[in-house]
Amino acid sequence: MVSRWMYISLVILYGFLVGPFIIIFMASFGANANLAFPPQGFTLDWFANVFERSQFIDSFWVSLRLGLLSTIVSLVMGMPVAYALTRFQFAAAGLVETVFSAPILVPGLVIGFAMLQFYVRLGDLHVMTVLFIGHTAILFPYSVRVISASLRNLDPNVEDAAISLGANRLRGFLLVVLPNMQAGIAAAFVLGFITSFNNVPVSLFLSGPGVTTLPVAMFSYLEYHFDPTIGALSTLLVIFTIALVQTAERLLGLSQFV
Amino acid sequence: MIRRPNQTRSIILLVAPAFVFVLVFFILPLLFLLSQSVLPEDGGFTLAGYVDFFESRVSRIVYLRTLKLGLIVTGISVLMSYPAAFLLARMPPRRRSFLMLLVILPLMTNAVARTFAWLIILGKRGMINQTLLALGLVETPVRFMYTETAIVLGLTQLFLPLMVLPLVSAMENIPNDVLEAAQSLGANRLTTFLRIVVPLSSDGLVLGATLVFTGSVTAFVTPAILGGSRLLLMSTLLRQKSVTIFDQQAAAVVAVVMILTTLAVNLLLRVGRVRQA
Repeated sequence: MVSRWMYISLVILYGFLVGPFIIIFMASFGANANLAFPPQGFTLDWFANVFERSQFIDSFWVSLRLGLLSTIVSLVMGMPVAYALTRFQFAAAGLVETVFSAPILVPGLVIGFAMLQFYVRLGDLHVMTVLFIGHTAILFPYSVRVISASLRNLDPNVEDAAISLGANRLRGFLLVVLPNMQAGIAAAFVLGFITSFNNVPVSLFLSGPGVTTLPVAMFSYLEYHFDPTIGALSTLLVIFTIALVQTAERLLGLSQFV
Repeated sequence: MIRRPNQTRSIILLVAPAFVFVLVFFILPLLFLLSQSVLPEDGGFTLAGYVDFFESRVSRIVYLRTLKLGLIVTGISVLMSYPAAFLLARMPPRRRSFLMLLVILPLMTNAVARTFAWLIILGKRGMINQTLLALGLVETPVRFMYTETAIVLGLTQLFLPLMVLPLVSAMENIPNDVLEAAQSLGANRLTTFLRIVVPLSSDGLVLGATLVFTGSVTAFVTPAILGGSRLLLMSTLLRQKSVTIFDQQAAAVVAVVMILTTLAVNLLLRVGRVRQA
C-alpha cells in the first residue's frame, strides 16, 4: 500500500513545513542588511538590534503579562463551565457549548475591530484592559474544550465516592478532581498561553500608543524595515517556544493530550 | 452521576461568570458591529453599506479573490497532506511522534515570523531570484512579492498543519486488515486508496478543509506582508477601510461579510457531515 510517491510527498511536506525556519535561522546570522540570499558573512548584529530596541523589549513584557493573565482568567472561569458540561445533563448544554465555541468561529481581526469600536469609542478603557478582555474571550474555547476532555477521562464514580463519604461537591472537586487533572490543566495552560502570545489579528486594532504586543511590534517593524532583525527575533522565539513546551512536557507529560 | 434537587442552581452558578463575560465582552461588541453596518450616524436604518460593498468593483474583486485563494490554498493543502498523512499514520510510534512534533511546532510560532521567511525566499534579491539569475534563466529579477502566488505560498505554509493533524488522526483509525482485504481481493494501490482510504478518512478531510479554508479567508498577517495594499484580501481591505480611509461603516460591512462567510462554510460542512452519518 505504501509507495514511493508517498515518501516523495512526505519530503515535500516537511520541506515546506520546516524549510522556512531553516532559512530564517540562516538569515538571522547573515551580514547583509537587505535580505539577500544566500547570506554573506556572519554577524550577531541583528540579535543585538533586537535587544537595543525598546519596542521589542517592552512589547515582550506586555505579551508575557497578557498571556499569563488572560490564560489564568480563562481557565479559572472556563473550568466551572467544563465541569457543568461534563457532570450535569441540562437542556441548555447545547447553547452553552455554542456560545463558548463562538470566539473560534469569528475572525480575529473582526473581533479586534468590533472591540475597538465598542470599548475604545464608547468608554475610556485602558489599552491593556481591552487587550486582556479580547484575549480572555478568544481563549475560552480552548480552556473549556481541553478541560472538558480532561474531565471526561476521569471516572465520575471517584468523586461520587468522595461525595457519598460526606464531602460536598466543592470539596470533592478540590480534593479529588483537581489533583487528578493536573496534566489537562497544564495542557490547557500551555495551549492558551501560546495562542495569546502569538496572536496578531485581535491585538492589532486594540494595541494603542505605548502598549503593543510583541507580534504586533514585529509586524509594525516589518512595515518600515527590510532587514534580518525580525529573523533574529523569530529565531529567539522559536527557541523560547521549544523550551516552554519541553519544560511542560518533562514536568507533566503533555503529549498524551496533544 | 449524583442528581440533586438544586442542580439547576449549581449549573447556573458554574456557568454564569464565564457566560456573562462572553456575552458582555464578546457578543455585545459583535451586535454593536452589526448595528454599525446598518445604522448610519444620522439615524435611520439602511442597507446602503451592503449595496455599496457589492456594487463596488473593487470590493467584489477583493471578495472573489479572497474566496479563490482560499480554495486554492485548501486544494494544495489536501494534495500535499493526503499521501504524507497516510504514511505518518502507519509509522512506528517513536518516529511518528517526532515527525508530528515538527507539524505542531510551526503552529506555535507567530505568523509574522513564519511569513518573514517568504520575504527572503521571494524577495527581489531573494533565494529564487538569485537562483534564476545565476542559472541565466532571467536577466532581471522577477517580481514575486505582492502577487497571488506569494500569498498562496505563505498561507499554505501557515495552515498546512491544520490539514495534516486531522487527516493523520482519521487515518490512524483505518484498520490494516481492511486495506489487506481490499488488496487480496484484487484492488490495486490506487483503487484501494481512492475507494477505501479516502472514504474512511473523509471526516478528517472535511475538518481539515474547513480549518484551512476559514483560516485562509480570514488571515491578516500573511496577506498584509506578502500582498500589501497592492493586492488586497478581505482582512486587509477591512483594515484599510478602518485605518486609512476611516470609513467605519464600510469597515463594519466588510467585517460582517467575513463573519457570514466563515459561518456559512462551517454550517455547510456541518450539515454535509450530519447527512453523511
